[in-house]
Amino acid sequence: MGGKISTDLIRGHTDTIILNILRQGDSYGYEIYKTVLTLSGQRYELKEATLYSAFRRLEQDELIVSYWGDETQGSRRKYYRITAKGKDHYEQNRKDWVFAREVLDKLIQGGLNSDE
Amino acid sequence: MNNEISQKNKIDEYINHLFAGVGASQQLFELKEELAVNLREKIQDIKARGLNDEEAFREAVASMGDLSGLVEDMRRLGQDTARQSVYTSMKARISTAGIVIGSMLILFGLFSALMLYFMAGFGVASLGNLIFLVAGGTLLTYSVLTRETMHKYAMNTIRAALYGLSVGLLLFSIFTGFVTRYATGEMFIAVASVMVFFIAGVGILLTLLLTGSDRSKQ
Repeated sequence: MGGKISTDLIRGHTDTIILNILRQGDSYGYEIYKTVLTLSGQRYELKEATLYSAFRRLEQDELIVSYWGDETQGSRRKYYRITAKGKDHYEQNRKDWVFAREVLDKLIQGGLNSDE
Repeated sequence: MNNEISQKNKIDEYINHLFAGVGASQQLFELKEELAVNLREKIQDIKARGLNDEEAFREAVASMGDLSGLVEDMRRLGQDTARQSVYTSMKARISTAGIVIGSMLILFGLFSALMLYFMAGFGVASLGNLIFLVAGGTLLTYSVLTRETMHKYAMNTIRAALYGLSVGLLLFSIFTGFVTRYATGEMFIAVASVMVFFIAGVGILLTLLLTGSDRSKQ
C-alpha cells in the first residue's frame, strides 16, 4: 500500500470529500485534485477519472453548479460552486459518517468482555 | 512559445483521441476543454519538479486513471438528443428571450425615432430614441452568440458578453456622434466624442477576434 489509503474504503465518500472542499470556497478540477492530496497528507490521490464523473453526478443532483472562469484567453477554467441543497447533503453525510465511525470502531475493535 | 504550442496540440490530440467516435454534444465540447485546461496545469506543475515535456506529459496522462466511464457517459449523451436538450434548455431560453427582446428594442428605437422625426423634424429629440438601438444591438449580439446552433456550439457567456459590449460601444459611439453633432452643431465635437467609444469598442473586438477558439461542430 505504501502509506496510501485503500480505495475500497474511500469509494463511497468521494462526493462528500468534494462537497467538503467546495463548501469552503469555489474551486476547479485540478485545484480540487491538489487539495485532496494536501488534506490527506499525500496519502490519498483522487484520480481525475473519478473526480470528473463525480462532478457530473453532483451537478445532475443539483448539489453543485458549474461556471466558466473569466480568463478571456484560450484557456478558461471550469469552476464549481456548492448549492444550498449540496450543503444540506454534506451536513447529513457528515453526521452519518460520525455515527458510522463510532459503530464501526466498536465492531472492529471492541472487546466482548468489556464491562461498561 | 513554440514548445508551448506543440504541448497544447499534444494535449488536445490526446483528449480528442480519448473521445474519438463519441457523438458531439455541448457537454462533450465543454468536458474536453475542462480536461485540457486542467491537464495543462498539471503538466506545468510536474515540469516544475524538473521533468522534461515528454516525461511530464506521460506522467500526467498516466495519473488520470481509467476514463472509460466518462467516455461512456459522453457516448450516451451524444446519442440521446432528448437529454441534451434538457441540459441546454435554460441557456437556450435565455438566449431566445434575449433575441426577442433585443429585436423588439431595435424596432422600438427605429419606430419611435421615425415618429419623433415626423413630429419634430430631424434633431436631438428624434435621434435620442436611437439609444434603444444601442441596447438592442448589445443584447442581440450576446444572445445570438450564446445560442447553440446546428453548426456551432454556444460561446461561453463572458466572451459573448464582451462581444456584446464591443458592439454596444461601437453603436453608442455612432449614436453619440449624431447626437453631439445636432446638439452642438459642431462637427469636431462630434468626431471627438465618437473617437473615445469607437476606439474602445474596436480594441475589445480585435482582442476577441484574435483570441477565440473554434466552436464549429465537425
